[in-house]
Formats: sequence, structure tokens, C-alpha cells
Amino acid sequence: MTHLSTSDNGADRVEHRWATVSVVILVLLVVVATFAALYHGAIPQSRVETVDPRTLHLGGEFIESNLGSAVEPDGAVTVRAIGQQYSFTPSCIVVPTDTPVTFRATSADVVHGFLIDGTNINLMLVPGYVSSLGARFDTPGERLMPCHEFCSVGHEGMWGRIKIVEKAAFARMAAERRRPSCVE
Amino acid sequence: MWNSRRLVLAHLWFAFACFGAALPLGEWQMFIRSPLHAWISNPEWYYRSVTAHGTTMAYVFPTLVAMGFGYFVTEEALKRPMVGLRWAWLGFALVVIGTIAAIVPVALGLASVLYTFYPPLIGNPFYYIGVVLVVVGSWVWVALMSVNMYRWKRDNPGAPVPFPMFATVAGSYLWGWTAVGAALELLFQIIPVALGWRSTIDAGLARVFFSWTLHAIVYFWLMPTYIAYYTIVPRAIGGRLFSDTMGRISFILFLIVAMPIGIHHAFEDPQVGAGFKYLHSVFTAIVALPTLLTVFTICASVEIAGRLRGGKGVLGWLTALPWRNPVMLGAALSFVMLGFGGAGGLINMSYQLNATVHNTQWITGHFHLIFGGAIVIMYFVIAYDIWPHLTGRALESFGLIRAQLWTWFVGMIVLTFPWHWVGILGMPRRMAFYDYTDPAIATQAAWVTMSVVGGAILVLSGVLFFIVLVRGQTAPRTEPATYRFSVAVRPPRALPAALNGFGLWLGLMVALTIVNYGFPIAHSLATPGTAVPAIKVGERW
Amino acid sequence: MVTRERIASLRNPWFTASVGITVAIALVAAVVGFIWLPLQHPGERFTDVWDAICSAAGLVRNAPSGAQIVRADYLTTSVEIDPQMLQGASAESIGRGATLALRCTMCHGARGLSQADTPNLAGQYPVTIYKELVDFKTGARASAVMAPLVADLSDADMRDLAAYYAYLPRVASSGSAAGEPPLIVASGAPLRGIAPCGACHGEVESKASAAWLEGQPAIYLRTQLGAFATGARHNDIGEQMRNVARRMTAAEIAVASEYYTSRP
Repeated sequence: MTHLSTSDNGADRVEHRWATVSVVILVLLVVVATFAALYHGAIPQSRVETVDPRTLHLGGEFIESNLGSAVEPDGAVTVRAIGQQYSFTPSCIVVPTDTPVTFRATSADVVHGFLIDGTNINLMLVPGYVSSLGARFDTPGERLMPCHEFCSVGHEGMWGRIKIVEKAAFARMAAERRRPSCVE
Repeated sequence: MWNSRRLVLAHLWFAFACFGAALPLGEWQMFIRSPLHAWISNPEWYYRSVTAHGTTMAYVFPTLVAMGFGYFVTEEALKRPMVGLRWAWLGFALVVIGTIAAIVPVALGLASVLYTFYPPLIGNPFYYIGVVLVVVGSWVWVALMSVNMYRWKRDNPGAPVPFPMFATVAGSYLWGWTAVGAALELLFQIIPVALGWRSTIDAGLARVFFSWTLHAIVYFWLMPTYIAYYTIVPRAIGGRLFSDTMGRISFILFLIVAMPIGIHHAFEDPQVGAGFKYLHSVFTAIVALPTLLTVFTICASVEIAGRLRGGKGVLGWLTALPWRNPVMLGAALSFVMLGFGGAGGLINMSYQLNATVHNTQWITGHFHLIFGGAIVIMYFVIAYDIWPHLTGRALESFGLIRAQLWTWFVGMIVLTFPWHWVGILGMPRRMAFYDYTDPAIATQAAWVTMSVVGGAILVLSGVLFFIVLVRGQTAPRTEPATYRFSVAVRPPRALPAALNGFGLWLGLMVALTIVNYGFPIAHSLATPGTAVPAIKVGERW
Repeated sequence: MVTRERIASLRNPWFTASVGITVAIALVAAVVGFIWLPLQHPGERFTDVWDAICSAAGLVRNAPSGAQIVRADYLTTSVEIDPQMLQGASAESIGRGATLALRCTMCHGARGLSQADTPNLAGQYPVTIYKELVDFKTGARASAVMAPLVADLSDADMRDLAAYYAYLPRVASSGSAAGEPPLIVASGAPLRGIAPCGACHGEVESKASAAWLEGQPAIYLRTQLGAFATGARHNDIGEQMRNVARRMTAAEIAVASEYYTSRP
């Protein structure tokens, strides 16, 4: 036992140093996350909004003719969508590159959610509430947009799509239809 | 042991029986949705299995292990008969009845809502009532842990509560408080709808209540494992616990911070304000601290054993360790999985990184690695260590025990590492089948198949575990030595009163709950018009 | 030996340190999370700091309805679906429905089993019958045949008719076994966003207003799926059937219709 007690103070110092290092690491993690929020705008939605899922199709911003990509006066795009058992509407969403895009979506029945493949766009759709998320797309392409929250027995069939097109091409689509989507 | 031998055995046997039933279900699920099997003709069977597997592995199995181990510690650490044996049997009966009540509707396809409930999906009321009974049975255990500790303190004034009991009571208080969230959701929201008394439910509020339980429940699962790290591992390998004080601080930190951080499970949800999401994120970072402290304390304790066995030099003590000792092996394998799983947890804890992995298969891979891996492997170790004291028969198949631990570890790595990767590739959770022929998904196929292999290894490991225990039933009777927990290098001489009781810490835990959850819940309750129609599952016509 | 000092006392360093650190962390996190970060959020216009704090706390702040709403140039359904609606109809309701149904028998059959290509109504879900009747009346679902027939039906009449037809026994087996369901019916086509039909239409689970399809005339099913695919039929809430039908091939529509017509 003797060599244990003589190194007591040494071991204690190591222990305290480790505890300090641990705290520093954790503080650093929080600081990094906070800066990511600030400088990349990677931040959750800033408002809680409510909506009635029973009447989405009867009036308000989520009626079917108003879903899709809307061009705002300042050139930004607002994408409106609903999730329901078992599809998203619009089932194919189109967005331009190099433009601030805001997704506004809700659920018509149970909890859904979606992610956009290859991005960090990830949102839950809870009936009764409106979800919103800001995004910006750099490269054109087509990506999958699966429902990623269990929504009962048809969940495995709930895959949407999103097409990212060049800004000019999107502008042409927006000139032809007020709420463009890539549904054929 | 005094009174509770059969009580502990009953808890552990029922726990492992449920585990044994749920384990092959998990592998079936893995197989059925992999490229190795055609799309299942009725997807509801898959979701039924997920509900059964999740409910058993999350609510029944670890609860019973914690309860059984807790009763064991109560007698062996306090060195006296347990108070309240009859109540303990009542608690056990409630857990058993609740389990059966819950699993029957699930098996019949009437409650395929998954163990996370997911209102406004609503299943058969007996599923939820069953879960409530399991929780109530466990609350009996919480009360008994507390009663036994306080009786001992009263009878031993001025003496430090033995550390294993202190840690066990901390874990029980954590569970008692954390279960309240899901209990509120079940009792006041879901069950009234399931019984037909109401037809609408606030899904957002239900998710907030559930998040109250959802994070800290994993710390409840972790408690027996960490208690084993501190109180069994050093003794079993011939060492000493490096610091009793730091151990108490770690468990106190868990008690305070494990619970009021659940909103990080709702980062992407629309019903919670961004300010609370940030607040929970910060406190989630703090809950990593007791694990980091534990890693140091246990490594130091193990180093003591290594040096006592003659290990010299900076790393020489590692090779001197008793690697053929199943406790040493299990703890080391557990630490490896804890390292990877914990790192994954740090990724999940910030909104920014969480957004990339939320509801992908990364999440499922993560909690199988940390819970199924790091935590459950220590449940096996605990069972191996205390079994002779419970049954009066030795467990003799050391080779088989080591093989079981190795196969559990290898199986878990092979299962979960590819699982994390397909999550990063964007594979969504909880689908009964996937179209691997599509080029966008084809890249995931090989990794999913690897996970199937890992799962098969785990089933094999589970079989080995039962063989060891069953063989133990027929081994010759022995007279096991008195059970001993690990001894600290410096047993507490002047232990601060704050580290010998829970008043202050419970106060902080409740205060933080009020700060972190009070407003979101109160405001949700006060906001009109957020209740949405319930959608009953299992309704076929 | 346990020391004997009071725990809840400012002289106890454990008390002051733990409470102090907890409060400090909570305060800093609150200031950052409720004030600083929201005010930095690009594109978010708060009226003042208090508005930012309230928003961050989660107080409901519904977006101003300034944005233009694009209206459809066709009628969509006006029915609000409640999963619990039309359950437990009374005998009187069913009786009234039976009387009203006398005028329907020419096309839909005496016992709700049609001899023509019109849908069998016997044993259909009440919500389905009710919704389609309302949609015929409002014009959300176009039908030159049905429109004049429902013009004088009141809401109560339509509920009674729904109750009556739901109460009738379903079509018996047509004798020719359908065999295994085709892939499109059993598993849908996930990457085209098509769930298995039975997930809504009752064989696996029943979604309110989705019709029971077994035993329906094949040509009726084909026509309706075709109408959803082109958008000619547009009374499905939130385009849920149009989303499905658009991505089905003609062959899949045919094989699904053949399957359902020969069931049970």
C-alpha cells in the first residue's frame, strides 16, 4: 500500500486536472455550437405557430392550391407543404439555387417529419403546429425527401422528392405558375 | 444474503426471459428490412415487432435489472435484512402483470404505436395501462430504496452511507422523478383517449411530456452499469476504488442534470421555443461531465489493480491486468463501446449536428451501441458476479462466459457501426422495407446487410448467456464467501454531509425541472386549440 | 465519519457552490438562448427585446397573414373529416336512410350491390359515403349523373344514407380466387411515394374517408384512378390520392383494379 499513499497527491492532481479538462472540453462544445448558430444561421425556428389540421384544406395558407414554392417580393422563396398519411403534398418540390428558401409545413393528421437527403435539412411535422426552417441550396440536382417519423403502417411508402434547379430556370417556372412544383 | 435472495432472482430471471424473447425479434426486424429479404407482405407485422421489442427492451428489461440489483445492494451493502419485502413482491407483481397486459394487445396487432407512443396515434388502452403498471411497480422499488437507506442512517448516525447504496438510491430517485413525464402523458392524455373518454389530444404537449422521461430513462438504464463499474469491477480484479468522493459526486451530477435536458429530443419539433432548446442543449453538455469523471475514476481504479499485480511503467499495468477475469473483460469491452457511443451522444446534443442525424438510422445505431452495448454487457457481468450468491451454485463455464462477452461485443460493433454510417447516408428510421434497387439507396444495401450479420452474432451471444445461467442451475452447491463491494483507496474519513444525503440534490433537480420544463408545459396547457383528432391504430374493417 | 454541518446554509461550500454554479449556468444559457441568439437571427424581425424573448420561450406567434393565398380554379372538398364521425348510427337513422336509398337502387342495386359499373355501396364505410355525397352536391366531385340526384339531399339525409349503406352486408365472394395481391397493392412503390393500398383502404388499417375497395367493379376503379391521375377528380383531401395515382403506371392501375374486383 505504501506506493499508493505516497502518490496520493500526484494522483489527486491528475484527477483535478482531468476534471478541469473535461469542463473545458464541454464548454468548448457549447461555444462551438453557439457560434455555429450565429454564423451559419443554424438555429431552430424562432416562433411557435399553431394551426388546425382539420381545416388545412378548407382555408388558410395550406390549401392545396397554395402549396408549393412561392416567390416573395424580395426574391426569397417560401415552400409550403403538408405531410399526411402517406404522402407529402406537393410530392415533388422545386427550389432554386442561391436563394434564401424557407420551408413552412405542417401535418394533416399524425406526426410526420422529413429530411432532405445529403443535407442537414431536417424537420418534424406535428399536427396543430407549423414547422419552419430556413435553407439555401448551392448545387442543382434531385434529392429524396423521406418521411422519417413513424406515422403508422404506410410510413415505408412515404417518400417525397425535391428538385433544385438553377435560379434562371426556376424564374421561368415561377412565371408560368404561381406555385411551382415538379409534380407531373 | 438475508431475505431478498428469491426476490432478486425472480426479478433477474424475468428480466432475462423478456430480454431473451425480445432479442430474436430485433434480429428478425433487421433481417426483414434488409436486402436479404423480400418486402414483407404486411408491413404492420414489422411495426408490431418494433413495438414489442422496444417496449420490452426499454421499459421491462432494464427496469427489472435495476430493481433486482437494487434489492441485492440493499442487503449486501447495508449488511442487514431488507425492510419492506412484501411491498417489494407487490412491486414485482405489478411489473409482471403490467408487462403481460401491455404485450398481449401488441401481439394481437392492436397497439402498433412503437414504444415512444406517438400520439395522436392511439392503440388499445391495455397497452398503456400495462406500461403504467410497470412504472408503478418500479416506484414501489424507488420508495423501498429510500426507506431502507434512511432507516440505516437513523440506525447508524454519523456514519457514511455505503457507497453502493448511495449510488443505488441516487439512481432510484432519478427514475422516480423522470418517470413522471411519461406518466403524465399516459394518465392525463393518452389513456383517456384510448378509453374513448376524449377524442382529441395535444400531440405537441405529449411529446414534451415524453421528452421529460426519454432522456433520463437512459441514465436510469445506465445506473446499474455505473454502479458495477465503481463497486464491483475494482474488487473483482483485485484493486481499489480510486475515489469514493468523486463517485458520489458523479452520481449526484447524474441525479441533477440527467433529467431536465429532454428537449434535445425535440430539437426539430415546432411546439417548443428556440430558447428552451438552447437551454436544454447547454445542460445536456453538462451531463457528459459525470461520465468523463467516471472514466477517470474507473481507469485509475483499474490501474491500481494492475500495479498491485506488478505492472510497471506508463502502460505496463495494462498487460498485468487479469484479462481472463470476465469482470475485467466485460468492463473493458463496455468502456470501448461507451467511448464510441458517448462520442455519438455528444454529436446528438447540439442542434446543429443533430439536424444531420435526427430520425435517421444513426440514432438507432447510437442507442443500440450505448445501451445494448456498453450498458447491457455490464448487466451480464453483474449477473455473472452475483449469481453464485443468489443461487448458492458456482458458475463454472468461464470459457463460455468470456466467449459470450466477446460475441456480444463483436456482434454489437458489427451491428451498430454500419448502422451509424447508413444514418449519415440519410436512411430514415422505422420503415418496414426499403427499395435498394434505386441508385440513391443502393449504397446503403451492403451496410445494412453487415448489420444483419452483427445481429445474428448477438442472438448467438444471447443463447450463450442462457446456457451459462442454465448450466449454473445444475452445478454443485457451494458456500459462497460473503459478498464484498469494492473498497476505496481512502475510505471516507470526514465525508461532507452533502455527499451523504439527497435533500439538496433533489431540490436542485426539481428546481431545474421547473426552470427547464415549467414554462413549456404550462404554456402548452394554457394555449387553446392545439388538441388534434386521435387516430386509432389496429382498426380494420 | 460524516461531518455535521447544515446542508442548506450559505456557510456550506457544497450548497453555495452547487446552487451558485447551477444558477450561473442557467442564467448565462438563458441570456444567450432567449435574448442574444434570437436577436442575431437573420431575417427575423422582432418588435423589441421582449418580443424576441417571448418568441424564444415558445409563446404562440402566428405569422401575419399578409402573404397572398393562391386559390384553386376548381372546387375542392368542403368536408372536415373527424376520425370519430358517423360512428354508432341509430336504428332510426338507418331506417330513414333505407327510405332515401329507394331512389338509388336503379344504379346501385336493391341491396347496395350494383349490377352495372357503378360502385357497390353495401358495407361501405359511412364516412366515405357521406363525403362523396357532399362532394357531389357541392361540385367538388363532378358527375353529371350524381349531381341532380343529390341536389335536394340535406346534411342529415346524407348521414342517414351513409348509416344505411354501412349497415348493409358487403358483397360476398365472387368465387374466383384473387390469389396473391400484386406488388403494387401489397407493397406499393416506396420511392414513387406509393404506400400499400391496404394501409389506408382497410386491409391493414383504415383511414377515415378512404373507401373499402374489395368487390368494386374493375372498370370503376380504373376510371377513378385514371381521373385522380389526370386531376379530373380532385376531391381527395390534400391531393393524397392524386399523389398516388399520378405515379402509378397504366399497367399497375389495371392489375390493382382486377385484384380488388375479385376480392374477397
